[in-house]
Amino acid sequence: MKATAHLTAEFDPVTGRTVLRRLRSMAPLTLLPKRGAGDVALVHLVNSATAPLGGDELALHVRVGPGARLRLSGVAATLALPGQRGGAGTMAVHAEVAEGGRLDYLPEPTVVTARARHHALLTAELAADARLRTREVLVLGRDGERPGELTTAMHVTRGEVPVLRQELTIGDALLDGSSAYLAGRRVLGTEVVVAGSDGAVEPVSGQWWSLTPLPAGGALATVLAEDAVTAERELAEAVSHHPAPIG
Amino acid sequence: MPAEPDHDDHDGHDHGGHGHGHVHPVNFDPTAAEPDPFDAAPEGGRACRIGIGGPVGSGKTALTAALCRTLGEELNLAVVTNDIYTTEDADYLRKAGVLDPSRIEAVQTGACPHTAIRDDITANLDAVDELEERFPGLDLVIIESGGDNLTAVFSRGLVDSQVFVVDVAGGDKVPRKGGPGVTTADLLVINKIDIAHLVGADMDVMTSDAHRMRGELPVITQSLVDTPGAPAVSDWVRSLLPITTA
Amino acid sequence: MSMTDSTEPVPVRSGAVSLILADSRFPGGGHVHSGGLEEAVERGLIHGTADLRPFLAGRLRATGELTAVFAAAAAHAAARGVTRRHWAVLDSEFDARTPSAAQREASRAQGRGTARAASAGWPSPVLRELLAETPRPHHPVILGVITGMSGGRPVDAASTAAYLAVSGPASAAVRLLGLDPLAVNGIVANLSRALDDVAGRAAAVAGDDPRDLPAPGAPALDLLAEAQLRHHKEEVRLFAS
Repeated sequence: MKATAHLTAEFDPVTGRTVLRRLRSMAPLTLLPKRGAGDVALVHLVNSATAPLGGDELALHVRVGPGARLRLSGVAATLALPGQRGGAGTMAVHAEVAEGGRLDYLPEPTVVTARARHHALLTAELAADARLRTREVLVLGRDGERPGELTTAMHVTRGEVPVLRQELTIGDALLDGSSAYLAGRRVLGTEVVVAGSDGAVEPVSGQWWSLTPLPAGGALATVLAEDAVTAERELAEAVSHHPAPIG
Repeated sequence: MPAEPDHDDHDGHDHGGHGHGHVHPVNFDPTAAEPDPFDAAPEGGRACRIGIGGPVGSGKTALTAALCRTLGEELNLAVVTNDIYTTEDADYLRKAGVLDPSRIEAVQTGACPHTAIRDDITANLDAVDELEERFPGLDLVIIESGGDNLTAVFSRGLVDSQVFVVDVAGGDKVPRKGGPGVTTADLLVINKIDIAHLVGADMDVMTSDAHRMRGELPVITQSLVDTPGAPAVSDWVRSLLPITTA
Repeated sequence: MSMTDSTEPVPVRSGAVSLILADSRFPGGGHVHSGGLEEAVERGLIHGTADLRPFLAGRLRATGELTAVFAAAAAHAAARGVTRRHWAVLDSEFDARTPSAAQREASRAQGRGTARAASAGWPSPVLRELLAETPRPHHPVILGVITGMSGGRPVDAASTAAYLAVSGPASAAVRLLGLDPLAVNGIVANLSRALDDVAGRAAAVAGDDPRDLPAPGAPALDLLAEAQLRHHKEEVRLFAS
C-alpha cells in the first residue's frame, strides 16, 4: 500500500490561533483534527488499517507555518507487521517548521512484531527559532515474541546546521543483546526537544536514561527499559529536567 | 597498555651525536614556521612544571600540600593530581585549605599511573593546558603522580624537573635498590625521618646509599611533622625559578 | 620529515601510518578511555570474556562504524584537498551524530591528544588548517586527516578508527577485570572480518556529501558514557570515559 498524507498548520493573526490549512488523509494514514487547547492546533494520527505492513510505503508531510503551533499525537500503539510478500515497509515523516513555529509530534509506541521488516524515517527542517518535540518508543516484539527488524533514522536540521542525525537498528540479535547497544532491554525510547533555551540544558542521567544537550542546540532524551510504561515514565523524567516549558 | 620500556634515556646526555643526523628542510615561508616540536625545554613565559613521584604512601600528597602552603603566597601555582582515586587527592588538597580548588586538576590514568606520566602524557598535558588557560602567568605547576613503583619516572616532555619521594617506612634498602626514580630524579626526598627509629630504618645507611646511587644529584631528608612547610624542598623549588633555558 | 603540500599529489602509501596510529603505545591519550567499558563493569554487565565479546562486537557495529565512516571521509577529503570550511562541516556532522555530551568530549579529548602528537609527527598545511578550524577535532576526523595526508587510503583510516573502537575497551577490560590478555586478544582477533567489513563499508561512502554519511547510534553506549561522567563526581573511576 502506498499512501501520502499532508498536514499544514498556519497561524491566523486575526483570531490569534493556529488553523489547519491543509489536512489530507490517505488510508491507512488518517488525520483527525481535535479541539485544541489555547492557540495550539491538535491533530490525531490514526493508523486506520493494520499498518504499517511489509511492503507499505507511507509518507506524511507536515508543515508548520510562522508562529503556528501544532500538536500531532498518536492514539494507540502501532504494530509493525510482516507483509504477505515479505518486503520491507517504510513510514517517512517529513516536517518543516517555520520561524516561531512549534511542532510536537508524539506518536504512540511501535511494536516490532516477529518477522516484520520496517524502516522509519523522520526528517525535520527547522527555522532558526522554530521549536520541535518528537518522541519515538520502539518495543522489541509483543510479550515473549522475538522482534522482527526495524531501522529508524532521525534527521533534524536547523537551517544548514545539523542538530541530530541518528540511525538505530533493532531486531539484530548481536546488537539487541550487546551491552554496548540495547543491553538486552526490550524497549528503546528517544525524545528530541529543540526549544528556545537549549543552551541551559545540563546533562542529567539515571541508570538507564539520560538527557543530554545536543551541540547545535536541542536536547535528546534516551531510555532503555524493560517495558513501554517504564520507558515513557523515564522519558518524561528525563525531559522534565529540560529548563524550557515542554508540556 | 604499553609495556615497561627497558630503560628510557631521561638523562638528556648526548651520546656521541646520536639523533642529530636529520636533515631539516629549509622553508622560507614565515607562515609555515613551526615551533620545534621536539624541544622539551620550557619556553619563556610558560609555567615551570615539577613532577612529584614515588611509591604509594611515601608522602607525595603531603609534600605537595606543604609546597602549596609555603609557596602559594609567593608564586602563582597550580596542581595536577594523578591519584587513581579520581578526585581524592584533589579533595585532600582542597580540604587542607592550601589551594583554591579551581587551581587543582585531577586526571584519570586508565589504571596505569606510570603510563599517564611517562609513556602517554596527553591527559596531563591537557590538564596543564587547562590550568594555564585558567590562570595566565602561572609560575609553577606541580604534577603529582599516582602511587607507583620504583621504576616510575616522569617524561621530560611533561615536567622540567622531578622529585622522587621515598619514606623510611618503606625500608632503608630502598635507595640501594635504585631504579630510575631513585637514581635519575632531579631531587630525591627521604620522607618521614621522624619515625625512622620506630621502623628500624638506619638513616645513615639510607642517605649514604642514596648519594652513592645518585652521584652529584641532591638528596633531602625531611619530616613534615617536624618541618610542616618542607623548607628545604621549597628552597630547591625556588632555585628552579625563573626558568633559564640551558 | 618532509613537509607535504595539499596541492601536490601524495603517492598512495598505506600500512605504516595506520600501524603508528593504531598502536596502543601511540601517545594520543587513548589509554585513559575505556569507551563505556568501565561503567559496564561497574554495573555488573561485564564480568569476563563471555560478556566482553558481545560488548566489543556491538561497539564495533555502532561507534566503530561511525568513527570509521568519518575517518574515511576525512582521509578522502585530506587527499583530494578541500577548503578549510569542509573541516567545520565534518565536525558539525560528527557532532550531530554523537548525542551524548560525554561521548563528544571523549572524542574531542582524544582528537586533541592526537593533534598534539600529529603536530610533532606529521606537520603539514592540511593539519594546520584542520586545527585552525577545529582546535579540538573529533578523533576520527584527525585520524583520517593524518592518514590521508600521509598517502593512506580512506579504508586504512577506517580500519584504524574501527580497530581503536574495540582495542581501547579491550585493553581496559584487561586492566579492570584482570582478564587473560591472550583470551581478550582472541576476541579482538575474531572480530577481524567484522573490522574489515566496517572499514569497507566506510570507505565506500568516503567521498559522499558529509550530510549524507551514515549515522549509526549506540543507545547503551550513550547511557554508559553519561553515567561514567556522572559517577566521576561521586565515586572511584579510573578512566575518563
